[in-house]
Amino acid sequence: MNYERIWAILRFILTTLFLFIIWLLFTATTETFTLIFGLFASLLTAGLTYHIFLPKHQASLNFILPNPFYLIVFLALMVINLYKSSFQVAKAVFTGNTNPRIVHFRTRLKSDIARTILSNSITFTPGTLTLDLNDDHLVVHWLLCSTIHNKAAGEKIKSNIEKSLKRTLK
Amino acid sequence: MTNFILSGMKYFLIVFATITTIRLLLGPSASDRLVAMNVLSSIALALLILWGVTTKNVLYLDVALVYDIFGFLGFLAITRFLKNTKDKL
Amino acid sequence: MMIKEVVALIFFIIGSAFGIVGMIGLFRFKDPYSRLHAGSLCGTTTVFSYLIALLILSPSIAITSRIVILIIFFLISAPTGSSIVSKFIWESEEAEDQRRSMQKEDKSL
Repeated sequence: MNYERIWAILRFILTTLFLFIIWLLFTATTETFTLIFGLFASLLTAGLTYHIFLPKHQASLNFILPNPFYLIVFLALMVINLYKSSFQVAKAVFTGNTNPRIVHFRTRLKSDIARTILSNSITFTPGTLTLDLNDDHLVVHWLLCSTIHNKAAGEKIKSNIEKSLKRTLK
Repeated sequence: MTNFILSGMKYFLIVFATITTIRLLLGPSASDRLVAMNVLSSIALALLILWGVTTKNVLYLDVALVYDIFGFLGFLAITRFLKNTKDKL
Repeated sequence: MMIKEVVALIFFIIGSAFGIVGMIGLFRFKDPYSRLHAGSLCGTTTVFSYLIALLILSPSIAITSRIVILIIFFLISAPTGSSIVSKFIWESEEAEDQRRSMQKEDKSL
């Protein structure tokens, strides 16, 4: 057995587990028929789509499975960021002096899932809005822009989130 | 106290939905209308959950769960449609 | 019993205040990007605060567990929806002038 085969089987098992947990959450019963039906349905779906859900070039398990302790820290940080930037945007609505600008910068994160989470969490906070994500290149609309330099703007927007996310996923 | 908070939430959400509907009708371009619809879908989700908690009925929460997951597929369809049509709405 | 209701009341007041400000911003800003920022103030912050208040006030364990799952899915679906809208504005013809002026500014895009 070569490494590619083992990695494919591992991805298949992870996809099946993910689908089965979602099934358990939605049905919320422990009847035998429901469990067996859900298991077979998730096996079939995983067999058809595991190469789309987890692509081949995700190098290791570290790229896919998050560290549970740092995940909670990350979620708490997101909630704090949400209220902080909401307050800034609310202040901008009353005073009226906004400086909207489109900045673009790169991220240091390696896995696809971590990049998606980064762009989604940039969009989640009011005041910053991800327009496009190519490989590691983000295009962001920033309502309260304070610098002209792109790299400094990127550090200001993402550094807080990226540092925490790097400990959660690789 | 609990009843006061729940009914207050209800009235606030209805007022927000009404104001957003005015924006949806006024909006000069298609983008403004889409922004208003985006806000409106979140308010509808909150109203569904609020009604489920008020009447202590689990069924509304299941409906809200499915609405939350498949809600943005409508936006995908609308944006694809608008991108292909030449005339502005 | 009393502490729960006070915490829920605090979240309710915070959410309502941000919602009113977002509604003002929805009419005050002129371009669609800024309107989307003001809209996300109401569509995300208000709804998130209300969800936490409802989580504290929920009467039974079945409702509590569903609201926890709903909050997790809301964290995923809310940015996805507004990302679809923002991508539409970025690719539509109304933002074409803005993008052209930006390309003039820095050549790398």
